[in-house]
Amino acid sequence: MGYIRLKDIRVSYDNKNNILEGLNLDIQKGELVSLLGPSGCGKTTTLRVIAGFIEPNDGQFLLEDEDLTHVPVHKRNFGLVFQSYALFPHLTVFDNVAFGLKLKKLDKNVIQEKVDAMIKACDLEGLGQRFPKELSGGQRQRVALARALVIEPKILLLDEPLSNLDAKLRINMRIEIKRIQKKLGITTIFVTHDQEECFSISDKVAVMNKGVIEQYDTPEEIYAHPKTEFVARFIGFENFIPLKKKENHVYVGENGALFHVDNDVDCQSCQATIRPDDILVITSVDNKENILKGTVEVRTFLGKSYQYEVATELGRVVVNSSNEHIYESGQDIVLLLPANKIILV
Amino acid sequence: MKKSLKYLLLVPGIVMLVVFLVMPLLSTIMPTVFDQGFSLKAYIDFFKDPYYVQIFMRTLRVSLIAAIVCIILGVPTSYFISRCHPKWRGLLMAISIFPMLTNSVIRAFAWINILGKNGVINTILMNLHIIDEPITMLYTEFSVLIGTIYLFLPLMIITLVGVMENIDNDMMEAAESLGANRLTAFFKVVLPLSLPGIIVGSVLVFTGALSAYTTPSLLGGTKNMVMATLINQKSTVLGDWTGASVIALIMIITTIVVMKVLNYIAAKLDKRGESNA
Amino acid sequence: MRKNKALLIFSIFVFAFLFVPLLIIVVTAFGEAPTITFPIKGFTFKWFANVFKSKAFVDSLILSGKLALYATLVALLVGIPAAYAISRFSMKGKGLLKSFFLSPTIVPGVVVGYSIFQFAILKLHMPVFQGLLLGHFLVVLPYIIRVVGSSLEQFDFSIEEAAWSLGCNKVQAFFKVVLPNITSGISAAFMLAFINSFNNIPVSMFLKGPGISTLPTTLMNYIEYNYDPTVSAVSVLLMLATIVIMFIVEKTLGIAAFTK
Repeated sequence: MGYIRLKDIRVSYDNKNNILEGLNLDIQKGELVSLLGPSGCGKTTTLRVIAGFIEPNDGQFLLEDEDLTHVPVHKRNFGLVFQSYALFPHLTVFDNVAFGLKLKKLDKNVIQEKVDAMIKACDLEGLGQRFPKELSGGQRQRVALARALVIEPKILLLDEPLSNLDAKLRINMRIEIKRIQKKLGITTIFVTHDQEECFSISDKVAVMNKGVIEQYDTPEEIYAHPKTEFVARFIGFENFIPLKKKENHVYVGENGALFHVDNDVDCQSCQATIRPDDILVITSVDNKENILKGTVEVRTFLGKSYQYEVATELGRVVVNSSNEHIYESGQDIVLLLPANKIILV
Repeated sequence: MKKSLKYLLLVPGIVMLVVFLVMPLLSTIMPTVFDQGFSLKAYIDFFKDPYYVQIFMRTLRVSLIAAIVCIILGVPTSYFISRCHPKWRGLLMAISIFPMLTNSVIRAFAWINILGKNGVINTILMNLHIIDEPITMLYTEFSVLIGTIYLFLPLMIITLVGVMENIDNDMMEAAESLGANRLTAFFKVVLPLSLPGIIVGSVLVFTGALSAYTTPSLLGGTKNMVMATLINQKSTVLGDWTGASVIALIMIITTIVVMKVLNYIAAKLDKRGESNA
Repeated sequence: MRKNKALLIFSIFVFAFLFVPLLIIVVTAFGEAPTITFPIKGFTFKWFANVFKSKAFVDSLILSGKLALYATLVALLVGIPAAYAISRFSMKGKGLLKSFFLSPTIVPGVVVGYSIFQFAILKLHMPVFQGLLLGHFLVVLPYIIRVVGSSLEQFDFSIEEAAWSLGCNKVQAFFKVVLPNITSGISAAFMLAFINSFNNIPVSMFLKGPGISTLPTTLMNYIEYNYDPTVSAVSVLLMLATIVIMFIVEKTLGIAAFTK
């Protein structure tokens, strides 16, 4: 039983098209879970259901077995960090952070103490009397975080909080978020479309597509064993080759080539997928299996390696190969797809 | 860029304004302060006469109350419009704009129909036998006030919607997530952020009401004169040109003072960092 | 979005306040009684016929239309170059200059009318129509400066520089590149200026002479001495014209043009 449970959540604005189609999700206490997916997949809608901005048409949202589906936003006490930060422009940093505490009618000294502590924890010392306009992007982000955390929320919800920061700051901030999250042990849901960001920070990842969760696993498991073609594509698998099952662990391509696969699944015809990094370019053909012959079409330089687009008998394949051998476009090459690197989806 | 060109483009406008606005104003106002040497006697006399002071105060009072009522009616309505679905928002804006484009004579006439002796309200109340005699509502300060509010409410609404539309919905949601119910969120977030719009709207309503002529003239009658109707009476009816010019300058100065004061208040209240100045 | 009932009811009340008075006028325009009554007895179009039979109304309608058109055109002719210069060139006192061009808004309309009457008509013996035209020009100039100015503020002047680099001289570049890109601003300014001139009373109040009276002034004088549904009929006709204008503007410039 999860700390947070979403049961059969359906959301539709016009009762024809569902934004979320019977979504289920269990989150354990203290976990940081990411909702990952392209725009329009329903990840933000899911977050808004949890926050209470959207009442689902069907389904339930439970926190510690308590049904909160119809509890209004302001009674939930969840911390929210918006993509736009949504800092109140007419209030100072201090008053922004104190906003939630003042609504709880806490004692003035208590508010002062808590806000000061949070401002310190979020590395905002000395900025208390500034207005949001006078802060840098990273500082605004930290104010938004401080404002959400100071109310001691039961859960923390982050909606693409890093997407307005530049690349370097993003990496620092995600480490920062992870550090604060672990320190406070607060259950956190993180919405993002950035795969790298999501893998680096999450305990678990829910990959979403068209209103459903396609895979819910640890980042390591998703990286190594995507369960569906959508997940595979989303996390960087570029090559998809249709195969038919011959016997257990042995598959055959349309051209009759045989492929050994270590990770067998229960299917008759499926797609083999493999990362460009995992394909080897070989010179001598001493093995007849897991081999694809093709011609180099385009070569691009990636820095540490070259990327080749290869036209093979089973379609176009993208291969990354080290700088040791350079192949020219038009050159015939042989590709080896190692049995332990092929994933079937 | 040759310097001459930019001045060439400005010259016609400047000449027109100087010749037909500044000079006429000076030529009417000069005689009021120069009577064998500089003298403010005409103005002191104006403010010594209880009749004129009463008219001056009435003008200020009507304008001030109209501005306040327009804020009270306009703020919630504008908030409603600004949070509407865009499809409805356009329609509601059109509905708000329509009275503004309608001639002020017609808009005053509408209230003659409603407040008059045989007007809609008296007819209804008499038919319901709530009253036996018609109530006098027309040609009172009350009718001037209603007419003025009616005249300027659309302006307030349109100004406020323009500001409120730009308040990000995230702001409201953030306030709610921090424990504010909708009413609290409105007072703590939307209202302070709308303040610049409220000030701009108030300036428009207040200064507009100060100089409104049609409405007080049609709904106020001769007993409830304001500065704008007084200037007309002084000049065209009484032929007192100096007296009319005195009123003209007082109106201009009052308008400028009101603008400056409200803008000063706005600057004081709207403190969101120096860069916003 | 969740609805708030109290807010909805309040807003309906405000919209009713804005609209019911105008609706009452519309209804009274069709009453048969010789004075305005509400609710009306009978149903007739005769008051509309009355409007067109009245020379005073028809003449003043034509005068108001002509006046608004001329005043707006003169203001455009003077205002567009000024707005262009103000937004295009960096110069000292730019803000001051802009306030100067907007200054007619600070002067109450009655005062504008009064001072022009005194100066131009009594002192310079200018014909009344010219005086009227000047007064209306002053009233509408700020609209032109503000609306055309704001559309010039959004114009990317590097486009004009591109035209120069391609061989346009300054004047050509203005007409070929700048002007076509601010037409919607000019149209909006034209419409706002026209409507405001057409509806203006305070300025026109002083500037009337034999055979020269604008429609609002005529209407106002009529109301002071008569209380028959002719006024309602005129109002209905003017409101219909307003609706037509709003419809056209909505289809071409968008309803936001009115809020500039």
